[in-house]
Amino acid sequence: MIYIIDHKDSFTHNIVHQFSLFDKEIECEDFNKVNYAKLNKADVIVFSPGPGAPKDYPVSSKIYKKYKCKKKIIGICLGFQQILFNENGKIVKQNKIYHGFQSLISVTNKKSLFSKHKTFKVGRYHSLKLQEPFYAKNFEVTMRCKISKVAMAIENKIDQIYGFQFHPESFLTENGNLLIKKILSA
Amino acid sequence: MKRFMKKNYYLEKLYNSKKPFIAYKVNGGYDLFTDFSDKKYVNKKNILNFFNKFNKKNKKKKILDLYIGFFGYEILCNLNNIKIPKQKNINFPKSIFYKPETKIEIRKNIIIRSTHKNYNNLFGKSSFNTNKILTPFKINIDLNKYKKIFNKFSKKIKEGKTYQIKICTKYKNKSLIDPVTLFWKLMKTNAAPESFMIRDRNFSIVSCSPETLIEKKGQKIITKPIAGTLRKTQKTNIRKALFYFKNNIKETKEHNMIVDMERSDLSKVCIPGTVRLSQKKYVEEYKHLYHYVTKIEGKIKKNTKVRDIIIAMMPGGSVIGCPKISTLNLLNLQEKESRNIFTGSFGFIKFNGDMRFNIIIRAILNYKNISEIAVASGVVIDSNAKNEFNENYIKAKSLIDLYQ
Repeated sequence: MIYIIDHKDSFTHNIVHQFSLFDKEIECEDFNKVNYAKLNKADVIVFSPGPGAPKDYPVSSKIYKKYKCKKKIIGICLGFQQILFNENGKIVKQNKIYHGFQSLISVTNKKSLFSKHKTFKVGRYHSLKLQEPFYAKNFEVTMRCKISKVAMAIENKIDQIYGFQFHPESFLTENGNLLIKKILSA
Repeated sequence: MKRFMKKNYYLEKLYNSKKPFIAYKVNGGYDLFTDFSDKKYVNKKNILNFFNKFNKKNKKKKILDLYIGFFGYEILCNLNNIKIPKQKNINFPKSIFYKPETKIEIRKNIIIRSTHKNYNNLFGKSSFNTNKILTPFKINIDLNKYKKIFNKFSKKIKEGKTYQIKICTKYKNKSLIDPVTLFWKLMKTNAAPESFMIRDRNFSIVSCSPETLIEKKGQKIITKPIAGTLRKTQKTNIRKALFYFKNNIKETKEHNMIVDMERSDLSKVCIPGTVRLSQKKYVEEYKHLYHYVTKIEGKIKKNTKVRDIIIAMMPGGSVIGCPKISTLNLLNLQEKESRNIFTGSFGFIKFNGDMRFNIIIRAILNYKNISEIAVASGVVIDSNAKNEFNENYIKAKSLIDLYQ
């Protein structure tokens, strides 16, 4: 079962539909109404996109820390930042803001599940970004924006934690389903 | 247009009476509804009860088995568990739905269907209505105030609290109006696909809304968000408009965001895998402008209730901003005056659960002899306060001009 924690975003149900392609059992609830009995049963926890910054969602941080290394964790946009924030990463404002922007990114790390140098178009909706350098045990930044070089994906194969700054569920993202499929089966 | 105004004994009687009626644009003409046997003032307390009317399995299909009316903005917020702080309020009803007993289909010919045998004699006294302006239109937020709000919201965007937000401004005057002549005058210049008119005893609404929010028949549901407006000039045409939208980064980004948001709203009530863009990024041409539109459709999950669909889709995202809930909260903290009908929805729900709803924009609400026209335009990261302020004026102008 996949449990999606919704940060009251307007894109979350696209994620629900996308993950439904790969698992019949999906639960999706607001971050402030999490059902812990169900959450305990989940194999995968997904942190959804949402407005604001990771520090605005202490409940989600708590859940991340509690289930890290116990379940597969996937973060998208704000969820991606949520993971980084809890790994002592700094989330900062960026000069150029990307909302509804389609941009080219590429796989920059050979430790990625995806082949290095692969380039593709993705949909982005973020005001904030990861400040680098960033270092956390077992974490690798694996994808970057072709132009700005901003971190677009992190992978931690050992603890099974993955995150995307872009939106794999957006209609602007090429092969978004494939990305999710690969991560779910990793 | 003439054929809609053509001499018809019944219609002339209707227009000249004081009898409440509703007109709704359909493909190839207009549907008029009247002889209301029920008028429901829907509010926070009775709305769920109201929705239950439509959940009964209704095998018999009758043409008049429907309620037609509107949801105001506030009740749609309430449905999403959003409270609105105290605002300046004219106490206009939050939502009204009518049960019609007579329907007049105005196409090439006029067909009247009624549950009353004597529908031809149900007019009451006739009256002569004229349009009279008592005070000129005034705006509630001037450019300076607008700039302040704009800067505040730009900051919220940089903080990621919202990605797109629409600032609403209102034009008001004191006037006596005859909504029927106003509506047909408007339809001559701008017969937008979601136009409608309500004439009731103590208020009227005249609108040339272009935007379809929900079209549901059986399991199929369609929404057609509009994001992107271009003014028509002698140099533009539909092909050039498409080129403009495609190459304008700001318009493209705004549009993308609305499309992803509406996909997500539909996904709440649709079977996974069925939500698709059936017509992606095309241009609709109107008398004075072009709109950038995407058509999205899906297949409704079994056992989905009318209530679930309304809550999932309303208020329509394209006129609010994104993400919807946090943006609604920001808007409600900012706005000092009730939106009333603006960015609510007008339409009908059939007893079998089928429905059609628009987004109420480009509308005149006349209540207590005050006409108000509300308009909104979007703040995204690269918009410019003065341009958006002016765009608001352009949107209101075609309605203000009706009073001349």
